Amino acid sequence: MAQASTMTRDRQSILSELPNFVNLDSYEIDRRIFWDKDLYALELERIFARCWNFIAHTSQIPEPGDFLTTVIGEDGVIVCRAEDGEVYAFLNSCTHRGNRVCFAEVGRARRFTCNFHGWSFGLDGSLASVSRPQLYDGNPTFDKAKLGLHQARVENYKGMYFATFDPDAPSLDEYLGDFRWYLDVILDNAEGGIEFIDGNIKSRLKCNWKFPAENFVGDAYHATWTHSSALIAMFGKAPTIHSDRSYQVNVNGHGWEFGLDFIGNAATLKSPEIVEYLREQEARFAERLGKVRSRMVGALSSANVFPNLSFLVGHNTFRTWNPRGPHETELHTWVYLNASAPETLKEHYRRGVMLTFSPAGLFEMDDGENFENCTSTNAGVVTRKQKLHFGMGIDSKIESESLKGNVYKSQLNEANQRAFYQRWADLMSSETWSDVPRR
Amino acid sequence: MLDDENYDEWIKLLTDDIHYWMPGIQARYRKDKNQIAPDRMAFFDDDLEYLKLRVSRAKQPSAWAEDPPTRHFHLVSNIEVEVTVDPNEWVVHSVIVNSRLRCEDDKMDMHARRKDLIRRVEGGALKLARRMIILQETVLLSKNINTFL
Repeated sequence: MAQASTMTRDRQSILSELPNFVNLDSYEIDRRIFWDKDLYALELERIFARCWNFIAHTSQIPEPGDFLTTVIGEDGVIVCRAEDGEVYAFLNSCTHRGNRVCFAEVGRARRFTCNFHGWSFGLDGSLASVSRPQLYDGNPTFDKAKLGLHQARVENYKGMYFATFDPDAPSLDEYLGDFRWYLDVILDNAEGGIEFIDGNIKSRLKCNWKFPAENFVGDAYHATWTHSSALIAMFGKAPTIHSDRSYQVNVNGHGWEFGLDFIGNAATLKSPEIVEYLREQEARFAERLGKVRSRMVGALSSANVFPNLSFLVGHNTFRTWNPRGPHETELHTWVYLNASAPETLKEHYRRGVMLTFSPAGLFEMDDGENFENCTSTNAGVVTRKQKLHFGMGIDSKIESESLKGNVYKSQLNEANQRAFYQRWADLMSSETWSDVPRR
Repeated sequence: MLDDENYDEWIKLLTDDIHYWMPGIQARYRKDKNQIAPDRMAFFDDDLEYLKLRVSRAKQPSAWAEDPPTRHFHLVSNIEVEVTVDPNEWVVHSVIVNSRLRCEDDKMDMHARRKDLIRRVEGGALKLARRMIILQETVLLSKNINTFL
């Protein structure tokens, strides 16, 4: 009881303090949101267990029986295509004693059978059989229909599957809103959409998950400074990022910062073949997407779908920043390409992402160092009480006829980071989804 | 040589056709015959050009993550040498522990098995022609790999 009342007080005091943690009127964010354990516990409940989290691309599990394991927050999840062709996501934890029922990261299965007592679950997560079921004879609470693995809601947008554990969450379409129109730059620039390349690189960073997520949602500012060494090694000098003809856009906390240079990100993959492919296809991209969005296809840019699905067009990489406590994050990285692209480009994208944005990559090498130290300095109790400044690009919001969502002039801006933290604060302070404003 | 970050000299030990490969590792069931595959994502899948690019980045004064320098060592053990049909080539197996420390106590360890192809080239020098590095962790337990294994 004593512990329960302490928990309640902590929760109450956190909720009452929330408006001070993210104060966008003064462009200040409280560093405790990157450090505090109680805030982190609330994040797992109110962000990760309620939002739509990316779980798989359809090409990763094309056939019935194909599965992969992933996480939503810290909850282990099996994502599987069942006999009916539908994709299901359910907890990787037996309903009898809680043991894991799947230990592989990826594969093909007929059943997920627990090693402990032999309870066996179907591809849709339902309880198919138990060993020696007669031992439960006479107990009406032993109802196989109710003892399946706990299901998440699953919906997809053009092959990208997302899941939420909240039955009251809005539909995925509503959650993504007009950001779908931007995601089409990747998912619908060519007939057949995209496919993921096999494999998934995982690494651990000793940082709070929000630092890398906000970095992708809007931090063009760091690119030429943090990555100076990689840019000089590749091109002899760091390019200049221009304020004109570049934008930040955001919808419901999802954000994309981009130029309209068409090729800036793709050019760092060290593959003339990729650049040639994009140039050849440019007119076709424009037919499907219109002129403006077609110029985003390989452009200097970065983006994040709230909360933690980041991506880079041009490099063709998706990644998730999975929380492992307030001070640790597990990064999962994938590479994709257009399903209609020549087969030979697969190798170019696969090796290009490895050379640039993977743990040994020329660019990513320097990012982890920053994210970790932005987190670890907050161990200091005085340091932790200092505010961080998020004031770049005030008065940069514009009305745009050619772009959707909230549009800001210049990708060198912190409008998207502010929108990301606004969404974070909205969700953290809302009891239910109906309290969460659309942004 | 690697412990001292003497990368230019290390590069000279590689043949022109070097393939330096550190595949991504996934936990897969035993029945899955392709535990590791060449067309999957990798930490390294490098030719000489890529390796030289990585060295070039590490040497830039603006390689912020390299300054102060990382203190590292490579512990190499369990070395077994196999002869091949080519009298100038040997397959060499080893295990390696790489430990990196940055600043005060930022500690990162990697554990791996290696399979190398060593070739005697014209002039008699021994060079590294192939290296396959099998990391033992499926999740890299560090933020980056700012070294070679």
